[in-house]
Amino acid sequence: MMTAALEYFQFVLAPQMLIGLVLGVAVILVALGLTIIFGLLDVINMSHGEFYALGAFIALALASIGLPFWLLLLLVLLMMLPVGYIVERGLIQRVFHSGERHVTTLLLTFGLGLVMEDAFRLAFGPNPHKPATPIAGAIDVFGVFLPLYRLFLIAGGAVIVALVALVVYRTRLGAMVRAAAFDRHMAASLGVPVQHVYAGAFAFGVALAGLAGVLLAPIYSVFPTMGRDFILMAFTVVIVGGMGSIAGVIVAGLLLTQVQAISSLYISPVWSDPIVFGIMVIMLMVRPQGLFGRLGHG
Amino acid sequence: MSAPVLEVRELSVHFGGLRAVDNVSFAIARNRITTVIGPNGAGKSTLFNLISGAVRPRAGQVLIDGVDMTGQPPHRLQAAGLARSFQITNLFFELSVAENLRLAAQILEPNRMAWRPVGASRRAHARVDELLARFGLADKAAYPVGKLSHGEQRRLEVAVALACQPKVLLLDEPTQGMSHGDTEDTAKLIKSLADDVTVLLIEHDIGLVMSLSDQVIVMHQGQKLAEGTPAEVRSNPAVQAAYFGHA
Amino acid sequence: MADALTRSMRASHVLAAVLVVAALIFAAVGAAIDDTFYLRLGTEALIFAGLALSVDILLGYTGLLSLGQALYFGLGAYLSALVLMVTPSFWAAMGATLIAAIVVGAIGGFIANRVRGVYFALITFGMAQIVAKIVYNTRALGASDGLIGVPVINVNFGIASISSASPVGFFLFTLAFIVVLYALAAYLLDTPFGRLLIALKANERRVPFLGYSTVTPRLTAYVIAAVIAALSGALYPMLRGFVSPELLFFSTSGNAVITAVTGGVGTLVGALYGGILLTVLKSVVGSYTEHHLIVIGLLFMGAVIFLPRGLMGIVRPAVERWLGGKVVP
Repeated sequence: MMTAALEYFQFVLAPQMLIGLVLGVAVILVALGLTIIFGLLDVINMSHGEFYALGAFIALALASIGLPFWLLLLLVLLMMLPVGYIVERGLIQRVFHSGERHVTTLLLTFGLGLVMEDAFRLAFGPNPHKPATPIAGAIDVFGVFLPLYRLFLIAGGAVIVALVALVVYRTRLGAMVRAAAFDRHMAASLGVPVQHVYAGAFAFGVALAGLAGVLLAPIYSVFPTMGRDFILMAFTVVIVGGMGSIAGVIVAGLLLTQVQAISSLYISPVWSDPIVFGIMVIMLMVRPQGLFGRLGHG
Repeated sequence: MSAPVLEVRELSVHFGGLRAVDNVSFAIARNRITTVIGPNGAGKSTLFNLISGAVRPRAGQVLIDGVDMTGQPPHRLQAAGLARSFQITNLFFELSVAENLRLAAQILEPNRMAWRPVGASRRAHARVDELLARFGLADKAAYPVGKLSHGEQRRLEVAVALACQPKVLLLDEPTQGMSHGDTEDTAKLIKSLADDVTVLLIEHDIGLVMSLSDQVIVMHQGQKLAEGTPAEVRSNPAVQAAYFGHA
Repeated sequence: MADALTRSMRASHVLAAVLVVAALIFAAVGAAIDDTFYLRLGTEALIFAGLALSVDILLGYTGLLSLGQALYFGLGAYLSALVLMVTPSFWAAMGATLIAAIVVGAIGGFIANRVRGVYFALITFGMAQIVAKIVYNTRALGASDGLIGVPVINVNFGIASISSASPVGFFLFTLAFIVVLYALAAYLLDTPFGRLLIALKANERRVPFLGYSTVTPRLTAYVIAAVIAALSGALYPMLRGFVSPELLFFSTSGNAVITAVTGGVGTLVGALYGGILLTVLKSVVGSYTEHHLIVIGLLFMGAVIFLPRGLMGIVRPAVERWLGGKVVP
């Protein structure tokens, strides 16, 4: 009896939970960027999925000239920061001060997402590319088969998330960011360079998404519409966790991906999106501010 | 002896640990002008929010014409005959002055008129013209509210609240930010309203309070400190202490 | 006696009339040269313009951005196809679509209208994605291939009938149909009900203090938009003879939003012009490159930044002045 349960855990449940954890870490990275952008700029970045894809595509391009994986990670991060900065200063700021900011920034970033998606198609073609797994092999822990790359992903992702939380809550930079989120004018009069903080936060947010893209590419492949498929889960995590809350993203991200991973053992995968969406709807109806509060707002 | 047109009994609400309104009771008879005064943070606007249905009370009752309307949403209170204006101008800034008034006056028409062309709502339009004249806004009727001067906007706030022919009118600092001349004109207007409507007013201008009010209610730290005629309240030592520290 | 809003609506009517005249000329030319392709393309443009109309009712008037109107469009298309394959009656298809749209719209509206702004957009997005996924995976609805074999039908009016196979005939019929939808929307939006929607967009907080709940008007507007989207969608299988899950995808919802915004949000007629413009653009750009989305996306972003009121936002005030409107500061 016990051995049957144990075997079930070893061969069925644990691997599935691992998959869920891998996805969870990636979703958290993407959702973290989304929630920082919303919490600080009050902007819904409908192109966030495409920045996730952008990271993967940049990595693809760089890998094709033979650069090693660890260098790819660094370069993607470094390249996406200025891209995000320019997008915020050049595009988003243009509509930021209009009365209907929520709608216009949503529409603008939606348009941007379309352009980016088609640009990927133009540059790389519509078919998926699957990069080789950077760390091959697996280890056996108590009979559970753990692929090394996935372990690296979980560990690495966790480290990045911890670093982000550290920066936001324990550093001067983070304090500036939180101040600017809470009260822009007050922060500005206290000497916080609000313009740069905003642009920097946006850049950082999309860079996190891009990083997730690079990390997940060997597992889920790279194709032009990869952002679109991913974004519903990311938005759900942000909403369930609470827009602007980092803790919320972490908790909701882990929870939702585990729910999805385990339920896919019993229910057809067709229903995983409806379930995720159902959770988002229920949350919005019952407790619209999500599980936790917002980054700067009360 | 008929029921007071507006009565609150032991009305209370807390925000976190703060007792914003604490066990307030009073009754207002028909066609009187009653002013609520008190230092900043006394709970006056919160009191209005409770009465108008914007905020649900934790305890206590709100009665309109003897009918318990406690906890009802704003539109039900409106239907019961209560209308309010706001301290921070809360109008439809992109829409014209006339349209703001018509939106408020439309409630005078039967429901089926909602599905006929706007121009067919003659009663509402007549009310709009009446108010435009009475409040001196007729030449600005087509202007978007955002283009009016501050004083004109404040006047419009009162006009919009009045448009639905309410029984009770709650005016939250109607003269806030107005020039002296505007304030005087508004005071005259409010005085003239008392013939048709019962007015409950929040005001800071003591001169206005003294000249306008039939009755004054003083609030302090969420509680009703005193109630009486302007003269009675002015000479009340507790009131003086609240406003000026020590009498 | 007409106020500014009514005058704006009249200016829209003038522009709509211009569109109709242009369309009639287009039809006449098409008939003369015995064209099929462009007339069918034009019919399709009108059908999608109907969808854009539903977006504008919500966005331009009620202030709600719906990113999932394709749900109702697709609902109308699939239901119409199914009904027609059983009984080739236009009225049966439309009747079924109307009822379904009201019911599903009420449900969707109940779910979505608990929230506003960004959350509303996300919920509508999610709802459409879910339904699209379900339909895509349902064998009985043709899965990824959709449903084919919708028969040609005759639309009977008693005295005359139009065949859906006739390029000119069905183009003119669709034109009339969409104009009727436009007229219905335009009428409703110039009633006190419609003005209440406009008030909701202008300052939702104030509305309850006017004496109205905010829930009922929003829900009603949502259902009306759902019905218009669904009825437009119901025409699609009559034109093309098939339906596919693409009609439910986000791209369909997204295109509708682009159409409404570039055409001119809050003008109603902007949705019509926008629909034509988008179809023409796709056709023209599409003949040079299959990456027309980049061009359209860039134009859309340009419109959002530089032309927030859309094309009609520039043209309509000019028409208003021409009609003799007073110049307000």
